[in-house]
Amino acid sequence: MTVELYLDYDTVIHRLDARIKLLIFVFSFIGLVLFEHPLWILPVAVLILLQTTLARAWVNVWRIRALLIILTISSVIMWNIFASGETHLFWFFDLESLLYSLARTMLILLMILCGVNLISTTRNEELVLGMIGLGLPYRVGFAISTALRLVPTIAASIYTISQAQRSRGLDLEGGSILERIKKYIPLLIPVFISTIRNTNVFGMALESKGFGAREDRTFYLKLEMRPPDYFVLVFGVILSVLAIILDLRGFGAIPGLTRF
Amino acid sequence: MSAGEVVTIKDLQFRYRGEKKWALDGISLNIPKGEFLVVMGASEAGKSTLATCLNGLIPHYMRGRLNGEVVVLGQNTKECTVPQLAEEVGIVFQDFEAQLFSTNVELEIAFGPENFGVSREEMKRRIDENLKYVGLEEFRNRPPFTLSGGQKQKLAIASVLAMQPKILVMDEPTTDLDPISKQGIFEIINKLRQSDEITLIVVEHETEETLNADRIVLIQNGKIVKSGPVREILQDVESLEEFGVMPLGIPKFFNNVKPSSQLPLTPEEGVDAFKQANLQISDKKYKELVLEEEAASRKFSTPVIQCTDLEHTYPNGVNALQGIDLEINLGEMVAIIGQNGSGKTTLAKHFNGLLMPTDGDIRVNDIPTSDQGIFKLGQRVGYVFQNPDHQIFSEFVFDEVAFSPRLRNVHEDEVKERVSEALEAVGLVGYEQEDPFSLTKSGRQRVAVAAVLAIQPDVLILDEPTTGLDYKEQRSMMDMVKRLNERGSTTIFITHHMWVVAEYAQKVFVIKDGRILLKGSKREVFSNEKILEESFLRPPHFVQLANRLGKTFLTPEEMIACLETGGNA
Repeated sequence: MTVELYLDYDTVIHRLDARIKLLIFVFSFIGLVLFEHPLWILPVAVLILLQTTLARAWVNVWRIRALLIILTISSVIMWNIFASGETHLFWFFDLESLLYSLARTMLILLMILCGVNLISTTRNEELVLGMIGLGLPYRVGFAISTALRLVPTIAASIYTISQAQRSRGLDLEGGSILERIKKYIPLLIPVFISTIRNTNVFGMALESKGFGAREDRTFYLKLEMRPPDYFVLVFGVILSVLAIILDLRGFGAIPGLTRF
Repeated sequence: MSAGEVVTIKDLQFRYRGEKKWALDGISLNIPKGEFLVVMGASEAGKSTLATCLNGLIPHYMRGRLNGEVVVLGQNTKECTVPQLAEEVGIVFQDFEAQLFSTNVELEIAFGPENFGVSREEMKRRIDENLKYVGLEEFRNRPPFTLSGGQKQKLAIASVLAMQPKILVMDEPTTDLDPISKQGIFEIINKLRQSDEITLIVVEHETEETLNADRIVLIQNGKIVKSGPVREILQDVESLEEFGVMPLGIPKFFNNVKPSSQLPLTPEEGVDAFKQANLQISDKKYKELVLEEEAASRKFSTPVIQCTDLEHTYPNGVNALQGIDLEINLGEMVAIIGQNGSGKTTLAKHFNGLLMPTDGDIRVNDIPTSDQGIFKLGQRVGYVFQNPDHQIFSEFVFDEVAFSPRLRNVHEDEVKERVSEALEAVGLVGYEQEDPFSLTKSGRQRVAVAAVLAIQPDVLILDEPTTGLDYKEQRSMMDMVKRLNERGSTTIFITHHMWVVAEYAQKVFVIKDGRILLKGSKREVFSNEKILEESFLRPPHFVQLANRLGKTFLTPEEMIACLETGGNA
């Protein structure tokens, strides 16, 4: 079974320069984090959803739906507990805290979506190049991309191992929380061990191919800024500056909200 | 170092950190430029350790104590780093999954040259050249994980060749591959051999593939026990067996019927030698052999597993199985064979309910698997996964084997009984309090089998039980499986090892692209070399020889028993 997240399509978003795609991630964060009110988050949200659609990356969003649902529920509950307002609705829900929790939940979901957009449309190697292009050292960029690369490998081994243990009669559902944690031990130990083994071979293969042999490493891929890249860059900078100005002017806040 | 030598190893000793035993114990070996050297020996003999000494992974990556010296192209490996040596010595590992890490084929090949500051134009040239060399041109934009096992290994070779090494080391490059993919890798190796510039050092288990090498070195307990030209070593049937290497069937046969210092090795040579020796096969005895076998197979007539028009499509749309019709009877010993990715494992996973058909029907004991579910079915149909490390987690062998019965709420007294029975069946009595992770691969494989036996299943499925084991271990593993079968468990195994099929199976299913291409007794299946080849399979050399002589004998012993006696000599 393969669990690779990169989608090998040729879309407008795929064709963007990796540096720009990384910057989109940063711009989106600025556009989202500054505002407390969900309505103010909406414009950036629309742009991000548009990006996902253009990149044809909804398949990947669908794949992590369980995670998104869990995050949504827990985030809405949590932010209603940790914030309060003046207009009481029911239980521990106030109008202000509810709005705020929606905004924070949107922030989390949309940032994940941004990450999905980035990884679905950018090859690992491009990501490394992009990070170097933005000033990170090669080794740091490589380490980050390696960590990302481990995700599908680990997911694949979890799949195989859970099948092996289910064949032996392990039933992961049911039982109290403590029992459930105990049930995961037969799963986790083989996952750890096979991951360690895999990374060991990976490390050997890496060194054997001359990783870090010379300072003057070359790159087969070439990053190139083309007109659409400049357009996205200018557009992103304008939006970010606009967002900061609006925030400084006090827009986007929820009156009467108290955070703990 | 003399002029023509690229590798000089002197009194090499190596011990892994934390171990007491020397993994290599006094190896001295000179390898001349352009040689094709094969290193063979039993598991844990030190073959891989020797391979990783050549490019500096030992002592730089894997730590331990190293005495003596390894000099590669004038450089002492102790004094330079692995990346520095990488330009001179390339290495291909057995695990083709873990050594590929780029997102497409081109970038995989570019990775090595990138590290050495090669210009983009030159990289392009090397990518084109090496893709063509290994025959992967049409896959240049594919992500490596979508390639078949054989293609992945070819890519690994191309990615190493792109660094233009002078020495290429391969550590069991074909262990996980089907016979024709194996052959494909060795075709590349033979092509490389034509060049005098590159020196090849290949660690290998499969004897048939080594015929084109210049020299074989046999290793045991970290020492070189035999070294000589290929033909000389391969004709020495007894030594090979002694040092845990599978002898070829053809010299083994002739060694028995007509010992000589010049034994034939290949099927072609075998046919000639057979005629020259004036040997005759008795039609009558052969007929008796076949009739006897047919009578034996008729004893099995109670169906356990029945598939009708079984189909499986994975959620991602891949249609892995279609139109599968099969019947497996109580007490049979069945082999499922086919290329990597042909659907063998997907099929077997339907037998214990891990996967449910997306169309068609599968019944175990005449009840659809969907009505039984994996927990219940798991009690009847035990499944041993390919890699024991995907299931072992306990601190002690006892607990590992007791895991399943305990999950099924078996009383602790009976658990003890079942564990000791299971351990006895796999030959691990006395290992109850050992840490399973400290055992060898074959030991861990046995623990995995015992863990399944403790459920007392009626049907036992083994996914590649002999992969990664040496000849002796493979034999003892299969002898054990055979004993279990004789005790009454219906046994189904998936394998790439054709000699295992030839010697141990009764019934064979050949799977190709999710369909059954061929089914029948092993003799029927192996007589059909053409169809087998379509599914990337090939009978062992000895069976090929027998086929050319007009009868399908599966082992030298069978053929010897059917020789016309007297008359001709």
